[in-house]
Amino acid sequence: MTELSPATSATPLHVPTWAWALALVAVFALYLLTQENGALLSASNAMYLHELTHDARHALGVPCH
Amino acid sequence: MEFPALLKRGATAGAAGGFSAALVMWLVVEPVIRRALAVEEARSGAHHHQEEPLVSRTVQVWGGAVTALVVGVIFGVVFTVAFARLRSRLPASTELGRSLVLAAIGFGVLTLLPALHIPANPPGIGEPATVNQRALIYVLTILLGLLGVGAVLAADRFLRGVMTDPVRVSLDVLVGALWVIALLMFVPESPDKVPADVPADLLWEFRLASLVQLAAMWLVVGVVFGLLVDGRSRRTRRVARSTA
Repeated sequence: MTELSPATSATPLHVPTWAWALALVAVFALYLLTQENGALLSASNAMYLHELTHDARHALGVPCH
Repeated sequence: MEFPALLKRGATAGAAGGFSAALVMWLVVEPVIRRALAVEEARSGAHHHQEEPLVSRTVQVWGGAVTALVVGVIFGVVFTVAFARLRSRLPASTELGRSLVLAAIGFGVLTLLPALHIPANPPGIGEPATVNQRALIYVLTILLGLLGVGAVLAADRFLRGVMTDPVRVSLDVLVGALWVIALLMFVPESPDKVPADVPADLLWEFRLASLVQLAAMWLVVGVVFGLLVDGRSRRTRRVARSTA
């Protein structure tokens, strides 16, 4: 069952530095969308973001009020 | 395959997963949210309510759908990096198989584990005063879950060559199971109590609907990424070889 073609042999692929940075930015964006409740943004902006993403926060199972 | 090409496929798979999640949310989760909001409205005087909502319900439904879509793309990007790094450790013989295994791990650690420990709640349950504490428990659960994956991988590497494959895989499973049990027992629980006016079936249906939405996202991400990486890689390589 093992693949013989070199293209499908399982070696780790090189992940460039910019890709790690991009992944970090992605996780930060995820934080803003799902968790930010006033730790970084002003209270009113955080509240607006919270209300805007409200349904998804509940649906994604992220703690919400 | 070079990383940018892989990332393009990952983002595409993420968008497809996010779209599926948004669709499931609209069809399955939103009706339950509406029922929960009715319960919340019926509660008179118990909670302070803003006279004028900051964001209308219509905008919240659309905002939620767009959020689900964007979250899908974010998961697609992170999925790609994880896939590239963990490719050699994922127990499958094809790219589609590896992609599905990674999606299953993602579902288990990032969705099922927090769902078991600090499950999703519809509106009208979370205590605003404890939201930061609950967020910490949620993040801690996920981080310890990821650490658990590392522990299983480390155990697997340690046992490789020491014992036969079936014994090694069984011990891997045991390490993972013990890790999850310890995590569920020792990570603090949500301080919130479910109010008495929230029907048990509403709570159960919401949690199930939330799981269905996230399962749809992971499944679509795993399948689409796997198909894109599996099929196209050979074609682009052939083209590259003929033009080289």
